Amino acid sequence: MIINQYSLDNDIKFLAKSEIRLKILSELQKKPKSVKELVKITNITYSSISSNLSKLEEHNHITKSKNKYCINPLSEICFKNLMEFKRSIDLINDYNDFWDKHDIEQLSINSIQNITDLKDSTLIETTPLDIYKTHNTIKGHILETQNLKAIFPYLHPEYPQLIENILKREGSVEIVVPKSMSKEIIHGIDGQTRKNASKEGNFRIYAVKNDLRLYLTICDDAMSLGLFKNDNSFDQNRLLISANEKSQKWARNLFETIKQNM
Amino acid sequence: MTNPETKQELNKEFNEIKYILTSTMRSRLILTMFESPKELKELRTALNKPSATILHGLKELENKNLIRKFQKEYHLTSNGFLLATNMVKLIENWHSINNDTKFWNSHELEDIPDELLKNMFLLKDAEYIHSTTSDLSNAFNRYVKLICESSELKIILPIYSENHLKHIIELLEKNTLKKLELILSMDILNSIRTNELFEKSLLENEKVKIIPIEKNLKLFLTYSKDFMSLTLFFKDGHYDDSQILIGKTEDACKWALKLINYYEE
Repeated sequence: MIINQYSLDNDIKFLAKSEIRLKILSELQKKPKSVKELVKITNITYSSISSNLSKLEEHNHITKSKNKYCINPLSEICFKNLMEFKRSIDLINDYNDFWDKHDIEQLSINSIQNITDLKDSTLIETTPLDIYKTHNTIKGHILETQNLKAIFPYLHPEYPQLIENILKREGSVEIVVPKSMSKEIIHGIDGQTRKNASKEGNFRIYAVKNDLRLYLTICDDAMSLGLFKNDNSFDQNRLLISANEKSQKWARNLFETIKQNM
Repeated sequence: MTNPETKQELNKEFNEIKYILTSTMRSRLILTMFESPKELKELRTALNKPSATILHGLKELENKNLIRKFQKEYHLTSNGFLLATNMVKLIENWHSINNDTKFWNSHELEDIPDELLKNMFLLKDAEYIHSTTSDLSNAFNRYVKLICESSELKIILPIYSENHLKHIIELLEKNTLKKLELILSMDILNSIRTNELFEKSLLENEKVKIIPIEKNLKLFLTYSKDFMSLTLFFKDGHYDDSQILIGKTEDACKWALKLINYYEE
């Protein structure tokens, strides 16, 4: 209901309608410029630039002072938000195969609103020559990490051993798993190692009743995200991986949200 | 004429947002389906357009893989849902800033990081208060009233104002304020040190945690669990004590805390 009270503002349309205006604003946002400078940088004709500048001025997006145009503070925020929206569309399109026909219901609204944090991710896909590429990539991360946070909606037979190894080198592990799986994981880990780690607060396992519809690992250097397909099966062939700090933070937030909601 | 290559480049860069944002039909269809899946007749009522027009719009969105028909209803696809969520965010951000045009347009915003500028929707219910000629200290009085009930505050303090400091010290002494975190520049910190009273009751107070930072920030932000407030500087560098933005929603506080955390790091 909230949505309909907000229709798209005419002002958004005014800006979005013209690539030239958007280009001008993106330049002015960096630094105030004269008409001449704008023509030179953008390669757009003098007449288009100057007519669009007057329109922008009329709409109170820019101000002229001493020959140079500068963007008004409010318009700068608006423009940044417009570009952020553009980046979110780019991100959806760039990883189309990852999102398309997949279940995203367990992504929190907050994580979707900040989806551009995933900007520099890599989409890992299995190939006929390397059908375990996704699993092996993750395995590589887990073998090297000192800390692991993960949501495992299914159990790979190697997981207990991988977890045990982290605990043996005194790392920390925090995992969210379906209730049906938790025993198997626990029994797969050497009892003494597990007890020591639990005592130190280095091993936490959250067994949840609800269906988990999302795969997430956060290692020291990389996060990975996997989704279920709309037909309810886990897509083992695709994984979104990213090593940058923003994605890691994004993943940690998602992990905490899911942990708390379940 | 602008040469074709430049045009094409521009087109490539911006055509996606243009496609979604400039068509009232497409954007409204997406927003309506974001509420819940809809049958054709519901869309017809919601948009007040004939079936043929709506079906045309639906077809376009279907080709773009943003919606799909399932049984009799039209749904957003996962791509559509991701896009719609971010479109709503854009709209809310836009409305939120345009609520208080004067506040945002007259001040220096360079110390508000992009991360926060992109989440302005969190401030959408914040109240803009300004002083008037008949009540010159309206903004300040509102601020004083606001902080007098808090037990914990975090403040980015960019000014040395005896007025403000006296009020804060009073609250510490009355013990209504039990925990205070002050983020301030070395310049401000040194100014406070020159005043013996302030040095003693503020800097040496065990309830007060001081976080010194290098930069002289151009924003005055206060965060508590129940409210946040923001005052800014004019473009010419002067502090503006006549306008204040006060938010009391959980979202607004979240925004403020993010900003505080940004500078704590």
